[in-house]
Amino acid sequence: MSDMTKIQQAADYLTGLLEEKKDIKAQFEVSEIVTTEVTSENGDFTLLRTLFDKEVGIHVIADHKPGLTKINSFEEPVLKETLEGVIASTASAGADECFDIAPKIEGKEFTRGPLEPDVDKLMTRAVELQETIAKEYPNVLVSMIIIEHVRKDSLYRNTNGTEDIVHEGHYSMFLEFAGNDGTNTSGISFSAMTIENLDTPFIELGRIRKDLAEAEQSVNPVPIEGKFEGQLIFTPECFRALMYTYMEIALSDDVIIDNSSLWRNKIGQKVAVDSFTASIKPWDERIINHEYHTNDGFRSEDYTIIENGILNSFATTLFGANKAKVDRAGNTDLCYVVEPGDTSLDDMIKNVTKGLIVGSISCGEPRTNGELAGVAKNAFYVENGEIKNAVSETMVSFNAIKILENIVSISKEVLANGDWVLPYICVDGVTISGK
Amino acid sequence: MLEDILCGKKSLFETGASSVLRGQENRLRSVIINQGILTTNKRSEDSGVCALVYKNGVKGFASMAEYSEAAAEQVIKTATENANYLRKYAKNDKGVLPSVKPQVINSKRFIVDFEQEKIIELCKEVDAYIVKNCPKTSARAVNYREDTMEKFIYTSDACDGHVAYPRVRIMVVLKMEAKDGSTVEIFDSVNGFGNIDDNFKSLDKTYKTIDEMYKRLCDKAEGVYAEAGEKTVILDPSVAGMIAHEAIGHTVEADLVLGGSVAGPNLGKKIASDIVSIVDYAYTYQDGQAPLPVYVDDEGIPAEDAVLVKNGVLTGFMHNRESALHFGVMPQGNARGYCFSDEPLVRMRNTTVLPGKDKLEDMIASIDDGYYLLNTGNGQADLTGEFMFGITCGYEIKHGKLGRAILDTTVSGIAFDLLKTVDMLSDEVTWHSSGTCGKKQPMAVSMGGPAVKCKINIGGR
Repeated sequence: MSDMTKIQQAADYLTGLLEEKKDIKAQFEVSEIVTTEVTSENGDFTLLRTLFDKEVGIHVIADHKPGLTKINSFEEPVLKETLEGVIASTASAGADECFDIAPKIEGKEFTRGPLEPDVDKLMTRAVELQETIAKEYPNVLVSMIIIEHVRKDSLYRNTNGTEDIVHEGHYSMFLEFAGNDGTNTSGISFSAMTIENLDTPFIELGRIRKDLAEAEQSVNPVPIEGKFEGQLIFTPECFRALMYTYMEIALSDDVIIDNSSLWRNKIGQKVAVDSFTASIKPWDERIINHEYHTNDGFRSEDYTIIENGILNSFATTLFGANKAKVDRAGNTDLCYVVEPGDTSLDDMIKNVTKGLIVGSISCGEPRTNGELAGVAKNAFYVENGEIKNAVSETMVSFNAIKILENIVSISKEVLANGDWVLPYICVDGVTISGK
Repeated sequence: MLEDILCGKKSLFETGASSVLRGQENRLRSVIINQGILTTNKRSEDSGVCALVYKNGVKGFASMAEYSEAAAEQVIKTATENANYLRKYAKNDKGVLPSVKPQVINSKRFIVDFEQEKIIELCKEVDAYIVKNCPKTSARAVNYREDTMEKFIYTSDACDGHVAYPRVRIMVVLKMEAKDGSTVEIFDSVNGFGNIDDNFKSLDKTYKTIDEMYKRLCDKAEGVYAEAGEKTVILDPSVAGMIAHEAIGHTVEADLVLGGSVAGPNLGKKIASDIVSIVDYAYTYQDGQAPLPVYVDDEGIPAEDAVLVKNGVLTGFMHNRESALHFGVMPQGNARGYCFSDEPLVRMRNTTVLPGKDKLEDMIASIDDGYYLLNTGNGQADLTGEFMFGITCGYEIKHGKLGRAILDTTVSGIAFDLLKTVDMLSDEVTWHSSGTCGKKQPMAVSMGGPAVKCKINIGGR
């Protein structure tokens, strides 16, 4: 029996149970996931894992009351008991007509990426990465390399008649490392990529070479003295974290519904400089791993959050949109795409009078007022257009919402890591403080 | 409760390999009432089996989302094949893992499940209390979470066990309009080991927490930015756990020591002031039960307390069997995996700075210009010992007295430098058992501490 047959059988059984219920809206996804993963620690291969997972997620709305459950069994008695349980659990909930699922959409079968892993080639690439780093980056200590292949087969259905079938496979690579000269160690660094094939040596992907070189240059960082207001260049990875912050504190259901988002009444208004356009684009060809339908059953569509500085859309689900009386976002994914600018990274650095390039900001999660204070990690001090040295014990403070109005330049170069596509972004007006 | 169906499969372990067969179920019960609306009403169960096989210096692992004898046979076979396959790529044979005397170790408490209705009603009650008693809030959320796990562990050359980690928490979020028109918020939780009845039969403690939160939120709505720079601060006991966990705990996890952590070359050296001692407790604390008792880990190692810092001297690391072999010490039960498909990693259990002899009031009175930091959100640490954690509630201290509330900020420092500045510790430890540590996988941890007076970098304007 093929994997898909088991998935289909479980889905048909659930569909049959739901047809017996009256006035229940429901959607479910049945999936099987197989992961093959190799780990290298401190220069030696230590672990090979094979994971056979399955998942059944069921979302019901009974009398306008929601319930959600997840199990990892396809056994019919378990499915029946679980469905009964989640319906029963809605009884105590308060009814709200804003809970809903999408009307029927045209279902499709999607197939993407390598469905079977080439373990021997994966190992060859892993060995090659390990050996290249050891040879070309002698002052880098690689604490961990994780390379995996994930295959997922899934079937989505809802009670309005939609059915999507997805078969997808991809490889991903995670590298954890630090600069180390035998005496001193830099801060820890990470590189991660999602890819569709093993054609390219891992070392040549994304900005991995740059990350490794920067780790070597960070072994003897210098703390910033005093406090000043300066410029900050966010690396693409660092700006990804900021994009996530916007989703949480300014765009998501919760903060739109409770009116705490500073952007709550700003649709159609300017919230960033003209050159800034940010979207979520599951269908961008550079995005490897993405959703095909939203969490509430609509076909996922690319949408733009901020277009040429104007707030265009919140990231609201169907419930959030109904509740807050705003438009629903085109998808429920997190694959950010920010359009490139017209400045090269070199020129961007040359134009910094006094500031930092930051690889990440280690900080408390910002709240809805946008205030952010954190430690600059994997960071370099820039003065009069020149990178001077790596820094340590340096904090940066700014308002994450307002900083979009202080963007000085956006790089021509973008980094596409398979999950997002982002440029370097330089902003002004950041408080930078050291010891 | 899981049925014990795995014991008979030990005969399938390959001779000469160190093998572990684990059956596990994770349960999640989650209810969120946001603005009076039940927005999350979720129950989930994930169960399955996994096998970990250590052979000639490499490990093979396999898991299957099925709790059955057939699945157990399959994962032992696949994990053994994986170990054999990987061997040809490994450079070193690290030798035989340290053995321990076989015994069977069981938890004293297991998981009791309750109907979702009871949880929803509890959350409604808490929400109603907020509506009645916190009139100036602009938004509110009540978030109940019960994430529990139960495991059967069978090993070839260590202990067998049947363990469970039941825990619950109610987190409350309150928001209010600030004087400048923006929104300030505050969150806190009441949490504990066990189930809903163990912890929330009476809601007095929850209501007391909400009353305190509301007062602090009103103060925060009038709050000011902290002044950036190095400051003398009092870390409230609820914050000091972060020192134990983030600032020290992660740097002394042996896998991170091998990865270049600053703790490596400092073993046996003075890294803190004389009054600082830090322990990762296994299952008891001061003659009582530790907040998240761990009796045996997922490699079958009996759990013992790990003394990390004693009177200011770095005395030890936390290990799995492999790192213990590398460092020539005995493991103390720190290897745990989050769900059935996770291999065990070196994890903290109940990590705390030990209490001192000072009174909190005296500590505040001793500061002329500084901050009292009361609540924290997330935290992170680095190999260099540089750490940070978010501060979500705090007050100025001026001339020995509490002043204005401060807005959200972040504090940071170099762990060993900070610990050398500690000159007062309060005489009481407060524990939080609802922590979830992120390190490849999430993991339930508890952390604690007394109030700590120290110097720390604070972010602000």
